[in-house]
Amino acid sequence: MIRHSGFGLRTWSRQLRRTADVVVVGAGVIGAATGYYLARKGLKVLVLERDFPCAGSTGRCIGGIRAQFTHDLTIRVMMESVRMFRGLGDELGESVEWYQGGYLFLAFDEKRKQAFLDAIAIQKKYGLDVRFVSPDECEKLAPGLDPTGLLGGAFCPTDGQANPFKLTYGYLEGIKRMGGGLVVGCEVKQVNKLGDKVVSVTDERGDEYACSMVLNAAGCWADEVGEMAGVKVPVKADRHESLVTEAVERVFDPMLVDYRSDGCYFVQHSGTGHFIGCYTPSPLVPGHNVDATDEFITEMPRRMVRLVPKLAGVKVLRQWAGSYEMSPDGNPICGGTPLAGFYVSSGMSGHGFMFAPALGKLVAEQMTEGRASIPLDEFFLSRSFGKAEAMK
Amino acid sequence: MGYHSLEAVKRVLRTGMGHCQGRGCLRLIARLIEEETGIPASEQKLPRPRPPLKPLPLGLLGEFDEARSSND
Repeated sequence: MIRHSGFGLRTWSRQLRRTADVVVVGAGVIGAATGYYLARKGLKVLVLERDFPCAGSTGRCIGGIRAQFTHDLTIRVMMESVRMFRGLGDELGESVEWYQGGYLFLAFDEKRKQAFLDAIAIQKKYGLDVRFVSPDECEKLAPGLDPTGLLGGAFCPTDGQANPFKLTYGYLEGIKRMGGGLVVGCEVKQVNKLGDKVVSVTDERGDEYACSMVLNAAGCWADEVGEMAGVKVPVKADRHESLVTEAVERVFDPMLVDYRSDGCYFVQHSGTGHFIGCYTPSPLVPGHNVDATDEFITEMPRRMVRLVPKLAGVKVLRQWAGSYEMSPDGNPICGGTPLAGFYVSSGMSGHGFMFAPALGKLVAEQMTEGRASIPLDEFFLSRSFGKAEAMK
Repeated sequence: MGYHSLEAVKRVLRTGMGHCQGRGCLRLIARLIEEETGIPASEQKLPRPRPPLKPLPLGLLGEFDEARSSND
């Protein structure tokens, strides 16, 4: 049944219009993944989305997946996520376009090189296949890379890329197959309590959805949804811009990451052959804003061509912008809150897509069993936000 | 499958992501959506138009930035 509203489109399956075990707020990759793993545990899951699935950060991200982090829990979570990505196409019945092309972080000065060596030492503790490679090896891994000033790089061959849309829609279809539902054009405006516990949410039309659990997966709006529940969720949006080029023949496999102050990162899409990438602006641009700038559309090409000169003839098709929803320490915020039945999974700080399979599964465990198979304590909302991630 | 907006169809099928950036195909898809769902094509929100107006080489765009900053 379809009804057309002024803001968009609403679809629902009749038996779930009003009640569910879990209401998930937000149909980005985090909401979709966590909802899927909750549904797999036998719960009735209803995902409420005010725009269209992936309208927020997920639909604007460039699709990179890497375990090369410095925070111990992040490394463990990401190693699990990478393992899950390999099998997700089969599980969801639709390819998520996982491609194991690796990630190559480039070092152009001694300080950065040492930082990578330190990171590699931590990552190897957990068994990650990662090593420091020479400038020559960097050139072999990324033919066409300009080695001027290059001291080498941190390379993990098991990192890769996948398609954020296919993953999110794959999880949503899975939720529907397991008896759950998705309502689009539905904006949650109120989180309702009875005593100390969540009992329902209300949308902008006044429709109420009864549930025993709510998952706040609203990305850079998680602070607003938190406020509805009287829970402070410290996420703030930072704008990032991206661009995509036309499709060309295969040039190289890994995502290249240049951490210099005027660096960038980009990857060649495994299927189509277009290049897609981004740089973190300096200074940072706080606030959710999807406008694109003149500066980016000339600066990003300059940085890409400096790194790989032979890309000069490749044409840019589009630029856009989206938000990283930043937590105070750059690490996810997952798990329970002071309000019984109200959970959060946000603060992904630019890594939500790659975290989604493992964090989705782990948060579902946390919500239903009270603990996760990889303990998530260091990501809890109640932590003191001190241990920052160095490989952002 | 339930994907009734141009934005959703674009994400799932990659229509509108090629060289024409939807100039050719999105209006056709809006008409298809109208046939399937009854939502008038004229009321469907098109994806936001974005630079560049036509595909431009990375090398050219990168040089433009240098030329501009040397004039400041």
